[in-house]
Parts: sequence; C-alpha cells; structure tokens
Amino acid sequence: MKKMLALLLAAMMLLAVIPAMADGPVEITMLLDGSNVSDDTAVLETLNPYLTEKIGVTLKPVWGTWGNFDTLALDYVNSSSNEYDIIFTSSWTSNNYSKYAMKDAYVRLDDPEDNLLEKYGKELYDVLPTMLIEGAKTPGFDGEKGIYAVPGFKDIATLNTWDVNVTLLEKYGYTLDDVKNAGFYGWGDIFATVKAGEEKDGEVFYPFVFEGLVAERIVNGTPIVTGDANSLLSYYMNVEDVTVPGVYGNTFVNKYATPEFEKFAKQMREYYLAGYIDPAIAIGETATDAWRNAQNTARYLISTEVYSYGYEASTRAQRGIDLEYVWSTATPYIDTTSLQGAMMAISSKSDHPEEAMKFLALLNTDPYVMTLLDFGVQGVHYNLNDIGEVVFTDARSTYSPWTNGLGNVTMLPPLEGQGADFQKKYAEFYGGGKTLPIVGYTFDTSSVETEIGAVANVKEAYALSLCTGAVDPETALPELLAKLDAAGMQKIVDEANAQLKAFLGE
Amino acid sequence: MTAIPKQKAGLLRLNAVSRKTEALFHLVLGSFSLACIIPFIFVIIISFSSEESIRRIGYSFIPASWSLEAYRQVLSLGDALWRSYFNSFFITVVGTVISVAMCVLYAYPLYRKDYKLRGFFSFLSFFTMIFGGGLIPTYIVCKDLLGMSNNYYALIVPMLVSPFYIIIMRTFFQTTVPFDLIEAATIDGSGEYTTLLRVVLPIMKPGIATVSLLTALGYWNEWFLCLLYVTRRELYPLQYLLMEMQRNAEFLARNSSMIGAAGADAIRNLPSQTMRMAVVTFIVLPIACAYPFFQRYVVEGLTIGSVKG
Amino acid sequence: MSLSGGAGNVSRRKGRSGFSNMKKTFWLTTMMLPVTVWLLLIRYLPMFGIVMSFLDYRLPTRKLPFPTNLFRSKWVGLKNFNFLFTSESLTMIRNTLGYNALWIVLGLVIAVTFAILMSELTRKFLAKTYQTLMFFPYFLSWVVVAYFLFAFLDPTNGMIVRAQKAAGGTVIDWYNTPKYWPFILTICSMWKNTGYSTVLYLSAITGIDRSQYEAAAVDGATKWQQMIHVTLPHLKPMIIILLIMNVGKIFNADFGLFWSVPMNSAPLFPVTQVVNTYVYRAYTSTGNVGMSTAAGFLQNLVGFICIMAANGIVRRLDADSSLF
Repeated sequence: MKKMLALLLAAMMLLAVIPAMADGPVEITMLLDGSNVSDDTAVLETLNPYLTEKIGVTLKPVWGTWGNFDTLALDYVNSSSNEYDIIFTSSWTSNNYSKYAMKDAYVRLDDPEDNLLEKYGKELYDVLPTMLIEGAKTPGFDGEKGIYAVPGFKDIATLNTWDVNVTLLEKYGYTLDDVKNAGFYGWGDIFATVKAGEEKDGEVFYPFVFEGLVAERIVNGTPIVTGDANSLLSYYMNVEDVTVPGVYGNTFVNKYATPEFEKFAKQMREYYLAGYIDPAIAIGETATDAWRNAQNTARYLISTEVYSYGYEASTRAQRGIDLEYVWSTATPYIDTTSLQGAMMAISSKSDHPEEAMKFLALLNTDPYVMTLLDFGVQGVHYNLNDIGEVVFTDARSTYSPWTNGLGNVTMLPPLEGQGADFQKKYAEFYGGGKTLPIVGYTFDTSSVETEIGAVANVKEAYALSLCTGAVDPETALPELLAKLDAAGMQKIVDEANAQLKAFLGE
Repeated sequence: MTAIPKQKAGLLRLNAVSRKTEALFHLVLGSFSLACIIPFIFVIIISFSSEESIRRIGYSFIPASWSLEAYRQVLSLGDALWRSYFNSFFITVVGTVISVAMCVLYAYPLYRKDYKLRGFFSFLSFFTMIFGGGLIPTYIVCKDLLGMSNNYYALIVPMLVSPFYIIIMRTFFQTTVPFDLIEAATIDGSGEYTTLLRVVLPIMKPGIATVSLLTALGYWNEWFLCLLYVTRRELYPLQYLLMEMQRNAEFLARNSSMIGAAGADAIRNLPSQTMRMAVVTFIVLPIACAYPFFQRYVVEGLTIGSVKG
Repeated sequence: MSLSGGAGNVSRRKGRSGFSNMKKTFWLTTMMLPVTVWLLLIRYLPMFGIVMSFLDYRLPTRKLPFPTNLFRSKWVGLKNFNFLFTSESLTMIRNTLGYNALWIVLGLVIAVTFAILMSELTRKFLAKTYQTLMFFPYFLSWVVVAYFLFAFLDPTNGMIVRAQKAAGGTVIDWYNTPKYWPFILTICSMWKNTGYSTVLYLSAITGIDRSQYEAAAVDGATKWQQMIHVTLPHLKPMIIILLIMNVGKIFNADFGLFWSVPMNSAPLFPVTQVVNTYVYRAYTSTGNVGMSTAAGFLQNLVGFICIMAANGIVRRLDADSSLF
C-alpha cells in the first residue's frame, strides 16, 4: 500500500515536469462561463488558422455553463489538473478573482520579473479604460498588489432601479411622478388602488414583485461590498453624489443592525401583510421564477432591476407595455464589483502563459477575433443588415457564448434594433459612471472564515424573509442580531473596517 | 413437488391469511402504491400543460390549458437527446454487468466461513464506506492520475464498487445458500470457480437480481460524475441533460443581479418548467419499463417458493 | 492473519491437507482482486486528503506541482473544525440526529411490515404491481418532489391553500410555519425510501424455504406465529446489517431532501438545517476546501464510532449477524 502510494506519487510528479515538446502552434485551452454552445466546429475552423498565423496558437474553448462552471472552476483550481490555460473569473463566481489571486491560482500579468502585459499585451492599455485596469489590481500570494486577469470591458458601472409598469399605473390615473414623489415608504395608496382594481374578477394580483436583496440596496443605497459574498455588510452611499461618503462615512456596518434597515423591513412587513407582495418571492427557491414571471407577463406594478444600458427598448417590446426605470442613484456608480464583473485569468498551472497572454491581448483588441468568437461566422451564424446591425440566423441556437464573459464587448457590431451608434452611446453611458470612495477595495475574508461559515448560516435564515416582509421584524430582527453577535459578526465587521482603513490610508 | 394443481391451490389458501385480512393488506399496500405513482402522473400532466397555465394558476392536476410544446422542445434537441439516451443505456448496461460481477466475486468469499482472509477483506471494503478522502482528493486521483476525463470510463469506473451492495450481497449469500451445499461440492472435487458458477449462482438469482436492479438504478440516475469529469456534450447521459437545465436555472436565480444584461436574457431563454418535466418523463419511462424484468426474478422466486410446499 | 493459525478451525475435517487449504485460500483470494484494486485506487489513495482537514491548503501551481503543494501548506491544527462548533451547531446536530434516529426506526418497521404483507398476498399480479409502483419515488429527484409539494402548498395557487380559501378556513402559510415541517419531511423520506428497503426485505423473504412454513402450519402455528418464528429470524441478518449501516450514517443527512424540499425557505431553518446543509452553505460562502474536508472527516469519525459500537453490541448478542 505504502509502496504503491509512493510509486504513484512519483509517477504524478514525473508527469507534471515533462515539458511540452510539441512543434507548431500551441493549443490554448480556455474555460468559459454561461455558454450555450453545442457546435463550435465552424467557428474554430475559421478562427484557428487566423490565430496560428497571427500569434502561433490554436484555441480550444471549453464551454462551461451557468450550471457547471462553479464546480468545474473550483475543482480545477484546487486540483493538480492543468487542463485549462485561461479561465474565466470574477467577483461572483466560485473561483473568485481576488480571493484566488491571493491563493496563487492565477499568473500575475504585470509581474516585475516577467511582465507579460508589457511584453505581449501593451496595446491593452490603449483599449481598456485606466479605471478598469486599476480596478483589477489586487494583492497576490506575496501580498503585493498586481494585475492577475484581463478585465472584460462591459457594463462597468452599476445602476439599481425600480422597474415601473407605466401602462398599469396610468390605467388607474397615476403618473410616474406620483411614484417618484411618494417614494418607497409612500406607495401604500397606489398599491391599494391598483390591487383592488386588478382583482375584480377574483384573480389574485400582487403589485409589488421584486428581488428582496436588491430592493434593500435600492432603498438604502447600499452597494455590494466586494468580497462579502453573503450580504453581511453595508456601505451607505451618498445617492446624490456617489463620489463622497454617505451617512456612516467610509465605514462598513452590520447590514441588519442599522435603523435604516429596521425602517425598511418594517415597511416591507406592512406591504406584505396588506397583500401587495407576492409571497413566492420570499421563498428562496421560487423567488427568481416568481419575479421574472411577473415581469415577463407584465403582471406587476413596481419591480426591481439591476439596469444595463439599452434595457428599455427590449423590455418594452417583450412585455408589450410602457415601462420606466427609476434610478436609485443620481449616476451609475463604479465599484470593485462592477469592475471585476467578468475577467480572464491565466492559470498558474498553465504550461503556456506567454501564448495565453498573446491570445488574451488579441481577443481584447482585435474586433475580428472577438466578433467571431462571440457571434460566430458571418454568413453562417449571422448576417449584417444594411445599417451594419447583426441579424442572427437559426444556427445561432447551436452557438451562443455569453458575451460579457468573453472580453471587450465595445468592439462588437450592434445587434438588430440597437442602432448603428449603439456602442458610442453605450460607452457614453458608462463613461458617465462615478466612482465610489471605496472603489478598488476588496474584503479579504481569509482571517475570519470560521465566523463567515457560521454567520452565513444565520443570515440565510432571515435575510430574504426580512427583505420581503415575510416575517415580523419586531421579533425576527432582534433574534437575528442576537444570533449574528453570538456567531461572531462583530469580528467580521471590525476586520472589514480595519482592512478598509488600511486601504484608504495607502 | 408433483402436486396436482387443485391440491396446490387448496394448500396455498390453507396456509394463507384470511380473505378479510388479505383485503386489509391490499388496502394498505394499494394506497401506499397510489401515493407513490401520483407524483409521477403529476409530472406527466405538468409536461402536457401550457406555460400560460402554469404562470396563471401554478402547478395543477387540471391545467387551464394543454400543450404539446414541451415535447416539441425536447424532441427539437434531436441528436443530443438520442445520443444521451444511448449514453445512459450504455453506461447502465456496461456498468451494471461489471459492477455486479465484481460484487459477487468479492461477496462470495466473504460469505465463506472457511475463508481465512475474510475478516481482513470485510474490513477493507467496509472501512471505505465510512471513510473517504473527500471530493477534491478523489477528483485529483481520478482525473489527473487515472485519466478519467471526458470518456465513458469516467462515467462508469467511479461507481463500480459499492461496499453497501457487497454487504447486502453477502447477506443474501448467508440467507439463501446453505453452507453444506458448498462443502458437498468441495468434497466432490469441484474447483472454487466452478462451485460458484454451477452450484451457488443458480440459487442466488433473487439476490443478484435485486443488487443488479439497485445498481442499474444508481447508474441510470447518476449525473454528478458527469458534472465532475465530463465537459463534452456527446458524452452527457440523459439525467445530466436534465440536471444541467436545473442547475442553470438555480445558478441564474442566485446570481442574476451580478451577470447583467446577459443574465436577464439567459433567464428568459431557460428551458421551461414544462420542458423539464417532459425530460423527467423521458428519463423515468425506460427504467420503469425495464423494472419488471428484474422483478420477475424477485417475485418469481416468491411464487416458486410457495409452490414448493 | 497467518495461514497456520486459521488451520485449527478446519482441522476437524480429517484428511484435508494444508496444501488444499492454501489452494482454496488462493483461489478465493483471486476473486477478491478486482474489487481490491478498485478500492485501493479509488477509495484508499484519495485518503491522503484527510490531511487537508488540518492544513491551510496551498493550491498547486506550475512551480509548485502536486503533491509538493501539500508539504508547503501551513499546518493549522483544528482551526478548520471551529466553524462546526458555534452557537448554531446545536440546532443542526439535534435535527440531524433526531430525524435520522426517528427515520431508522420508522423505516425499518414500515419496510419489514410491507415486505411481509406483500409476501402474503395470493394474487401475485397485484403484488408485482405494488412493488413496481413503490419504486417510482426512487426515480424522481428531490427537486421534482419539491415542485410536486409546492403544487399543494404554494401560498397563492397551492391546491391545499385554495381548498382552505374555498372552505373559508384559515390559510396556513406553509413555507413560513416551521411546526408542520418535521411531519412533511418524515412523510417525504418514508415515501421515497420505503420501496427501496421493502425490495431488500422482500427478496430476503423470497430466499426462505417455504417448507418451513408448511411444517409450522402443520404443527398448528397461526400466521402470526409463523411470522414471529420463521420469517423474522430469517430476516434478522438483513435487518441487523441495514441497521448497523444506517447507524453509521446517523451524522449524515439526506442533503437533497433537506436542501430542495423546503424550497430554501428561511423561516423553516430551525427544523430543516442539518449538518450537510450547514456545511454546504458554509463551503459555498467561503470556498474553503479545508473546512469542508474537516466537516466530512468529523462526520466519518462519528459514523465510524457509532458503527463500531453498534457492531460490538451485535457481536456480543449474536456473533453471526455482526458486520465483521
């Protein structure tokens, strides 16, 4: 048994050190997220000769899906497998960018000793906004800040909005201004009127269908704290001018312990008891289905949406109603989460980091490569109409990668209906985003993982119910706070604040 | 054994419970069986319901309107569907045959009281039922050391041995095969393998059928191995096709606010509930049809046994 | 485990040489080989991973390939176990042990009863039908079962909820009321697993020689007495084996049941949180391999102790039925 083990371990080590001895183009394997691809032959047959000629590589994409990516990625970084050279990462996937950069899972691209970015990707500095590159800087295993992935150039600012069904609103004699002026705490009358009106023929109608945690972010102006994957912390923004701190200054607070949260939860409870809120959005597993169903069938008055530029046109057409998005902040805000929303890292186990860097540089600077990889082959997967918009063919159903998960989306031609100047407007919109004072900060949870493990379980038992009014905050909130304290919440808050202080002091 | 049919029937009734008691048995077993099948009927009804009906009145035994849309969607998967059907069959048949053969070979000596290494080997298999290295170490060994990546091997080998079934099989040996039988065969000079094949296996049919059934079900329902080791669609078993839809939906539900515009689109394009239920139907039907085949041995043994008297 | 030491057992059989004994042992051992190889490779080899419970695991990289990364990982002692022992752990331990203990007993009684009832049916066609139908729950994943249940309990459209509304009674908010869920979960568990264990017991009954019943009947034994004196003694080995093995899993809950069926409804956590769901939530919120390995290791350890204890008791009472 022991002998066998030793033998096998030796064999494994041997395998690990045998260098690749292939001549000709180097094959780069890339693990992607969110794809729906069943046939990529046509694309690769077109792409690979081009890549071979340009940079001497061929690409082998592995089309991870939403459902399997988290498992594939986490198993990959933890195991000895060196199957992937390039791997998708972000602030929200299992192979979390900042966390695994710190654990040495990714190659440092601007390593002073071997600066791959300088050598093979200089042109990226010209194409990507400085803000985006700065936002990708994060501490590595040695504690030094560096760039560990190429950030995707996509919707780099966040805007949380109320999605208001204007058609329904006007049917009952209200205007969008009534909704805006009354605000979240004053919608009771509007809900009552609309609910009574819609329920005449015995059907049940819920005017208020939303994502609980997003509603909290909108009402209290609290962005996601990067690294706080469990929504434990709040940072209060100044919603009028996001570049200066809000009521609590530049500190993190226990999300559930503020008077603002209590007021919010009490209001939700009131709406819930009055029957304005669909109870299905309070049950974890049915929440999203219920929320999306209400939106898609236009059976709602007010909902929530994390906005992306150009939504109005598509949602109005799909739902057949007039709707408006009411912004919760004066401008879209740029935070670490939005900057690290989609990135491509080179695995620290890769045998070909240099070739991988060459490919990433090309993918983010060469519109031909990006368009081919995302939209497929012109004439097969799509055609261009007379104003240069992309019109997909039926073949698109066998080849639909996830656009934001690939790279620089600003190089893509517009889609049908977006208009020829879409990319310009898109860039303008996100260019108008303002940065939060804490941008660039990422909560490193490694020293409080024991507490997080316990606290996450406590929070799970209350958060969604409180944010949707399904439980009474009079009793549930004190209960939650007591349990959070017992599980070590204060230690987490203190650690986050200590880190923030150090970060801002730099 | 050579009883005249009439007498046989009389005898059967003679040593049977009273008709009233039997009626009560039927009531208990019948109602439980009904409870077991209703959810499946429900799944079939949902698969034939229209999306509109589900949106309006939720899941219901009597949908507001019917639709074949779900089946149209499933069948439009075309090759992918038939391919995964084939994969499921292939994996189940090959896996079950090898697995049960290995199980019998291991369980038989464990049952032999006169086998000296019995204690050691019992413990060897039993210990792994309790202790394991965990997911990541197993993954490292299977994928990086044993090459289980994107092949059938990865979908079959990790499930070949179940210490649980070995113990069950050994228990079947203990309860059905009298030890004298083996001693007699040994005295006749029969080799160990011959004894196993010619003498023991024929009377072990019910036990083998039972373990085969459970093993086959295990393979047919398996999807986690595919998630871990397989990314090529040509190798997906049917069950994974369903799980992928399910997992996609769950993931998007948790992260939609992070993914941005594409997330909203992806949620809109998810396979509908009705389609998922139609896939469930596709998964359950074949194995439900295969079930009586295994069952024949279990219940036939029962019938033969009762006639023997 | 020396050969000569064991030879004493069979020495009563005269004329058997040590050589034929060795030959027998040899041939029987060859039968063990396929499974043994499999166990060593796929079960024993990964056990190096247990050490990860005590490490701050360092990821392998090109410069630090596996397994050198293990040697470079920091030893953190029992730190990875800490998250299992917090103010919340009592609830999940109570739930895990409570449900498992109840279900082991209930499952045994129901399955043995059903198997015996089924074996007594004279209409074999119906017996077959029941048996087939009872297996259907095994085909449906917990996710599907959860949706089925939701169809009844859905707060807006649920069939029970509608009936309550129509009757004018109080409508129960099922997914916000923990007190009903121990019953719901128990019913679900029994519903799903009964068919499976019934088949095991039924096939064990099948193996009983019918002449024993006839002999008992001739001696004037009632059906009830036949069951006590013939059926149950024959079922004993199977009952004991399944019991011992279930006891070994007493610290492991059926993850799918507790995760899917309550639809992840937060207010139900006090009665639906079990060790496996707790560990899973902690793992997905931290991604710490050491912590999840530690939890698995601890569960195994507890299971091992329970199983050894159970087996020890059985061996003292009835050596033949014990596991090893």
